[in-house]
Amino acid sequence: MKEDIRTEVRRLRFLHDEMTQEDLAARVGVSRQTIIAIEKGRYNPSVGLALRIARAFGVRVEDVFALADEEPRETRDDETG
Amino acid sequence: MTRLADRIGWHPTTATLIGATLVVGGFLLAEANWWFIVLSGIGAFGPGILRELGWLRDNDEFARRAAQRAGYHAYLVTGLVAFVLIGFIRSGERHLKHPEELSTLFLALLYFTWLLSSLLSFWGARKAASRILIGFGICWLLFSAADSWQDPLGLLMHSLVAAPFFVLAALARRWPRAAGLLLIAAGVYFYFFFDFHSDRRGGLITNSVTAVLLVGPLVGSGVALLGERRATAP
Repeated sequence: MKEDIRTEVRRLRFLHDEMTQEDLAARVGVSRQTIIAIEKGRYNPSVGLALRIARAFGVRVEDVFALADEEPRETRDDETG
Repeated sequence: MTRLADRIGWHPTTATLIGATLVVGGFLLAEANWWFIVLSGIGAFGPGILRELGWLRDNDEFARRAAQRAGYHAYLVTGLVAFVLIGFIRSGERHLKHPEELSTLFLALLYFTWLLSSLLSFWGARKAASRILIGFGICWLLFSAADSWQDPLGLLMHSLVAAPFFVLAALARRWPRAAGLLLIAAGVYFYFFFDFHSDRRGGLITNSVTAVLLVGPLVGSGVALLGERRATAP
């Protein structure tokens, strides 16, 4: 069964000086088309690629990808902390 | 050329370009000797075989997964059609004039299902359907121009037939469900309008191959648009 995944790639690119899709693609070693598909939710990346994308932004993988029915991580942190 | 590739979001690798050249070359040379058709087979399936063997690493994981998913779709469609065809042929006194054309039908089904599914994965249902329809519209305009370029009124009337394709292309972007239903309806209409169900126009296999090329993209895009939410990831 396919899993609905929410992605923060677009927002993180914006926060990193509007990093282009081309730049991100070059950093993680995929095509720009792959980044577009991930941002639009048409493709769920492999664990390896998800980790490489998180490393490119200097964050944890949970900050980039989450289950669609899960609350954003910041909200959960606020509740617990 | 690079700009055009950027615009349509398609960057073929060197192996893909060589493969495409072999496919076209094979078909052209087959006019001289049918053995050259093997070149088309090598061009169409060779790069994929090399990638599966791990000897060619020119695609990233998204492209590989899209190709594998498209392969599965081609397997499902071709398998189902094969059983329907066996039932149809064996259930009555039906003799194929050119049984070897069966392989053409299955190759067309395999390849065009694979191609359509790949496009849907790469562009998403809305963009892929929209671009396929624009392609249909442009092809129709070119045929109209070639057919009635000496008769301006006839050219205008023929060209008007392309208008629904462009309208549907715009509709696919905004209202995918409505466009999906219309595309399937259009596919069914074309199927009966062009008499693909009878053998009056051509043989069973010729009709089927033409139906795959003409009706297949419309119905395939329509189904993809209707199931857009369920088919979000390759």
